[in-house]
Amino acid sequence: MDPVKPSNTLSIGSWLRKRAENVIVALFAIMFISFLLQIAFRYVLDRPLGWTDEVVVLCWVWLVLWGAAFILSDKDEIRFDIVYELVSPRARHTFTLISSLALVVLFAVSLPAAWGYVLFMKREKSAYLGMRFDYLYSIYVIFAIACIVKHGWIAWNAFRGRESPEVDVLDESERI
Amino acid sequence: MPSHFTLCIIVLIALALFGLPIGLSMICASVFYLLVAGLDLGTAGEQILNGLFNSYVLLAVPLFILAADLMNSGSLTDRLLKFCLVLVGRFRGGLGHVNVVANIIFAGMSGSAIADAVGIGKIIIGMMTRNGKYPIEYAAAITASAAIIGPIIPPSIPMVVYALVSDTSIGYLFLGGVIPGLLLGVAFMIMNTVIARRRNYPVEPPVPMREIPRITLDAFPALMLPVVLLFGIYGGVMTPTEGAAAAAAYALLASSLIYRSISLKQLYAILLSSAKSTTSVGMLIAGALVFNYVVTIENVPLSVQHFIAGFHLTALGYLLLVNAILLFLGCLLEGTTILLVIVPIMIPTAKALGIDLVHFGVVVVVNIMIGLLTPPFGLLLFVVANMTKKPLMSIVREATPFIFVAIVVLAIISFVPQTVLWLPRVMGYKG
Repeated sequence: MDPVKPSNTLSIGSWLRKRAENVIVALFAIMFISFLLQIAFRYVLDRPLGWTDEVVVLCWVWLVLWGAAFILSDKDEIRFDIVYELVSPRARHTFTLISSLALVVLFAVSLPAAWGYVLFMKREKSAYLGMRFDYLYSIYVIFAIACIVKHGWIAWNAFRGRESPEVDVLDESERI
Repeated sequence: MPSHFTLCIIVLIALALFGLPIGLSMICASVFYLLVAGLDLGTAGEQILNGLFNSYVLLAVPLFILAADLMNSGSLTDRLLKFCLVLVGRFRGGLGHVNVVANIIFAGMSGSAIADAVGIGKIIIGMMTRNGKYPIEYAAAITASAAIIGPIIPPSIPMVVYALVSDTSIGYLFLGGVIPGLLLGVAFMIMNTVIARRRNYPVEPPVPMREIPRITLDAFPALMLPVVLLFGIYGGVMTPTEGAAAAAAYALLASSLIYRSISLKQLYAILLSSAKSTTSVGMLIAGALVFNYVVTIENVPLSVQHFIAGFHLTALGYLLLVNAILLFLGCLLEGTTILLVIVPIMIPTAKALGIDLVHFGVVVVVNIMIGLLTPPFGLLLFVVANMTKKPLMSIVREATPFIFVAIVVLAIISFVPQTVLWLPRVMGYKG
């Protein structure tokens, strides 16, 4: 985290982060339990459930986009950093500034269309639970806005010559 | 004026080189393409949302990640290693063999090489280097090498991803990996024997007979997991995705009830770390969903097919070419990226040349696993280097003989498709 930020912003930030983590853990747990219910009902009780399929897929979509929006830092994500690692800190700041600005511009330009698509989906409902797809898909808009804000902040830091998020090639999150 | 697609590729490479995460780079490059090509910008979101929503098979990925995390947190790994010590400890270079055999057994429950290297490596590297028995670099090298068996013997996260991009059956892919995985294990053990003899590495003191039943019983719940999983999937009881959930449930039960080695707080931490891993893989998948849409409307796979057809390659020649390209790319790129972006472009040509897609998939996955061992960008090298605090290159030097035999195995399974296809065919594969 950025040491220059006032401490109360930091504590609000970390409180929010903890809550975001609660959400993602809940999504994962619900997904896992639904799967187990599905197996139990189909094979043990011989009464297949339809809604579990929908719940697990829903949790999966939200899990990925929610996590990408609020949990992962850039260093948690899989990236190609051979060149980035080799150059001077100054060049790194320039790299970060350019790539983050590009992201902010491209995401911002496409945001209205993404929003339009999500709204358009309000006519469709999920097969079992009858949930409106615009609600289900709204996570994409949240994700896009979070990316714009996050990378706007990263670009701003890079512009002022502050250290961008530390690069750590080994992270538990790189799995395969 | 370069074509829209060329521009898109340039943007993608530039953003990735500048350090933007690869998933986001792919989304950005695709949005850029939609923009310059004058297409609907909402397509990016649409592809990601519908793609994720309709990719039911991919759900196996988070569940296999969870299963591996649960197993690593309990004392399951520990007990398994003790059991392997009984099996192969008394041969020359005993702990090296223990390492390989533990990875083979672990491979039957975990689908991720990184998880295996972390879980097994944490314990075995300590065992191998205690009292200076083995050099740390050697212990690190054999740990990293043996870990690639994990996703080759089922279950396998990369194979789930391959199944998604190639539309092949996960079940048959899994079966296809069994023999190549065992071949790799044998190859590594031979190499370990050769090196151990030359350097006079120790044998382990034999485990007293009267302790063997207890150690076996201790390891029994862990040993049963692969059986439950494979029986469940191939007995037709569960789909591979449900199998992944069952594996995670079994690991949770075993570590909480039988081994009593997990608390609620730990469970929360495990769920969180699995969720994070899922997200970072998920972002790559999301990026690939949009990017592959662009690749498809640009008809890239077809152009590649026409281009390759110009060389009049045989099926074997093409497989060799693919192997060479992937081994090279494996040095630079992370495996999932290759599977999601490069491999889909290669598949139509493979199909046109009459290469069986299950065979192709297993060859590709073995290849990509070797890529995890090759510098400068080999994730497994980073894992063990980080664990042992030894310079990367000193580990690479020790890993070279293992990389060499792995490439020999890759050549064998490329030249002899039966090594891959025999088992799936026995189980009813019609390909």
